[in-house]
Parts: sequence; structure tokens; C-alpha cells
Amino acid sequence: MEAEIRNRPSFANILVSLQPGDRIVAEADAMASMSSNIEMTTRFNGGAFGALARRIFGGESMFVNEFTTTSAPGHIVLTQPFPGDIACINLTGNTLFLQPGAFIACEPTVKLGLGWAGFRSFLAGEGFFRLKVSGNGRIWFGAYGAIFVREINDEYIVDTGHLVGYEPTISIRVGLAGGIFSSFFGGEGLVTRVRGQGRIYMQSRSFDGLAAWTNAHLF
Amino acid sequence: MLCRPAATAIRFALDAGEGMTCEVGAMIAMTSGMTVNTTSKSRGGSGGIIKGLKRMFTGENFFLNHFTAHQDSQSLLIGPSLMGDCIHHSMRGGTMIVQGTSWLASTSTIDIDATWQGFTSALFSGESMFWVKCSGAGELFLSSYGAIYPIDINGEYVVDTGHIVAFEDSLQFRIGKAGKSLVGSFLGGEGLVCKFQGQGRLYCQSHNPPSFGKLLGPKLKPR
Repeated sequence: MEAEIRNRPSFANILVSLQPGDRIVAEADAMASMSSNIEMTTRFNGGAFGALARRIFGGESMFVNEFTTTSAPGHIVLTQPFPGDIACINLTGNTLFLQPGAFIACEPTVKLGLGWAGFRSFLAGEGFFRLKVSGNGRIWFGAYGAIFVREINDEYIVDTGHLVGYEPTISIRVGLAGGIFSSFFGGEGLVTRVRGQGRIYMQSRSFDGLAAWTNAHLF
Repeated sequence: MLCRPAATAIRFALDAGEGMTCEVGAMIAMTSGMTVNTTSKSRGGSGGIIKGLKRMFTGENFFLNHFTAHQDSQSLLIGPSLMGDCIHHSMRGGTMIVQGTSWLASTSTIDIDATWQGFTSALFSGESMFWVKCSGAGELFLSSYGAIYPIDINGEYVVDTGHIVAFEDSLQFRIGKAGKSLVGSFLGGEGLVCKFQGQGRLYCQSHNPPSFGKLLGPKLKPR
């Protein structure tokens, strides 16, 4: 199975070429177009209970679609609702946490689960739960804006709403950006303090930032 | 064509007598040797009020802007209102069916009209009931939300609703379910899809405004 991320970084989408027998799992509504010989099956995302939990707490859809072809080779175009970049990561037995809504697609060997992120994460505006991807294989996730990667080996500060994914060796704490005054009048408010050794993925725009800006311009 | 694909704009170089027909509001800048003529007609007098009204149903404007150069080496810069890509399609006769808001500009030799794509397809495809029909020979410029990619269909091809930009009318399309079972298709979030059949060129957009709107909508304050 070959996959190419096109039109980066502003309107990234994934062109996947499937050979007979290849399978790819994609988030609901990720398909933009595909060859007519590709078959789609819908299944619960990690068991009925897990799927329900993911829907309610994870902000993800309960179902995922699996695309496959049995006869001839075909292609499928997968996309995300946000205008922004898409990144591909090859998991080799390791785990990655993704924020709700970031997941787009993965190879069927990758396990999708829901992890408790805690009250701290909720306070940071990132939700109570996070999506846990583990196993072997490639996963694709998207962001609103461009995606930055950073290796952390101590502490690093990210504005809330900009964190897309992180490795499980990273712990998350919510704190003030500066003193009380500068935190709230400087427009930064709460920030996320990430600590540990590992890699984090950030997006260059915040969706809540867009909503706040749009709200300010509505009458 | 400049700044593809995020914020595409198109620059035309026109000599005296040459002209373009553009969507209202598309003009960004132009040199001073141009005349603008706003009518509900396409160039050459065909159409009129009826065509303007029909165009309104497609989501386009009642009026069209005709830009004509009356001096040599003039330039015209146009762009769509949304972020996104534009494409250039050369027509040699035949007809192109364009999704309501995607038509941006065309040379004066192309006739622009609205067309009715059938009630069921409109109801279930989530697309507009009326489409813009461009026929004739000339240059056609389309815009979209997201990047545009061309597909040359020979046989059958499946497109999710909301991702169609334009297609040649040598293609027939019907509405079908995405998966094997109808329930699965809906639960899977794909719902109904458009199945194209035949031979011809299809343009798809990589992103879908309704999906983006569905995420943004709940975050907006009520008015």
C-alpha cells in the first residue's frame, strides 16, 4: 500500500493506492473520492463500549470505515475537515496520544483506544480523554494549520489548543503563562506545560482561536 | 496562476478587444485600460433576466461582470472569496457541469446557464439542485474550497457528496450508498455518495465546506 500526502501544508489530503488485499482504516467521513472497485465496510471503533466512550468523551466518531479491494488495484483520497497539514507516523510497537479530532487513518495493524487524560487535560481545554494509537504500522493525523514537531527533554510550554499529539513519556500540566496579570491580559491565559522526554506535535493555528475571532466579528 | 493552492489568484494578460466574464466580486485589481460592463446577459446578447434568475438559484450572482480591454497589454487580477485552489480547463465544445459556487470566470465565447440536475439527486447528494452549465469552446476557470484534483474517468468512480467541483456531461452520475449495506454507510459517516459512470474529466475538491462548518458552527455564539 502506497500513500502520498498531497497539497501540503494548506489543504493536505492523502492519496492511497491499494493493491488487492490491502486495507486501510479511516475516520468516518474522511473519504473524498475513490475508485469504484473499492469496498467499504463500517465497524465499531474498538468494540461497542469503547466506541461509545470514544464518541461521548473522545470527540471522535463511534465508527470507522475500512476500505479494501479484492479484485483490481484502486485508489482512494482521504481528507480532514480542517484546512491544514497532515503528518504520517510509522509506529513500531510504540504508543502515541492524539487529541480528539486529529486522527484520520491508519493501517489495520494499528490499535485504536481511548485513554483517560485527566482533569488537567480538561482544564487545558483538551478534553478528558485522548486517543491512544499503538501497535505496528502507519497512522495519519491532521491539524488546523501547519504541524511542528519538537523533541522535549525537560519542560516546554504550549498554548492551549495547539497541542495535537505527544508520546506517552510526556506528562501534561496546566499552568499560567506568567503572573496572574500578564496571563489574563496578555491574551495567553492558561498554557499547557509538557514535561518529560519525548516528542510532541503542535499545530500552528488553534481552532478555538478561529471560533473566538469569528464570534468577535458577528453582530 | 499565483499562490496555489491556499490563496490562489489568477492574472490575465489582455490585449485590446479581448475580454473575460467573471463572477461578481471576483476582481482584485486591474490596469486602467479596461472597461467593466455589468449585465445579467452573457456576452453576445443571449440570456437576459431569465438566465440571471436561473443563475441565482445555483448560488451564483444575478449579474455577471464583463471585463474588456480597450488598450493593449492590460492585466486583470481575479480571485475567489474563499481560501482555496483554482483550476484552468480548456473547453473545445461540449458541456461542463459546474457546482453552483465554483464558477469563477470564463472567456466570452463560453455560454453560462443554469441547469437542473433532478430532484432526487439534489435532495440526497447534499449538492445544490441547480448547477452551472458551461458550453462552447474557450477557457474556463473554476475555484474551490481546498485543493482541486482532476480525475479522468473511464468506467466508474465514486465521490463523496460535497467534493464535486465540475464534470463533463459525458459522465452520468447517480446516487448510491458508500458501503455494501445502507445502515453501515450512514453510521460510517459517509452516507450517500455520487457514482459517476462513463468517460470524461471530473474535478474534485480535497476539502468540504459543510464538514468544516459542522465543526465551527457549535463554537459560534447564537445570534
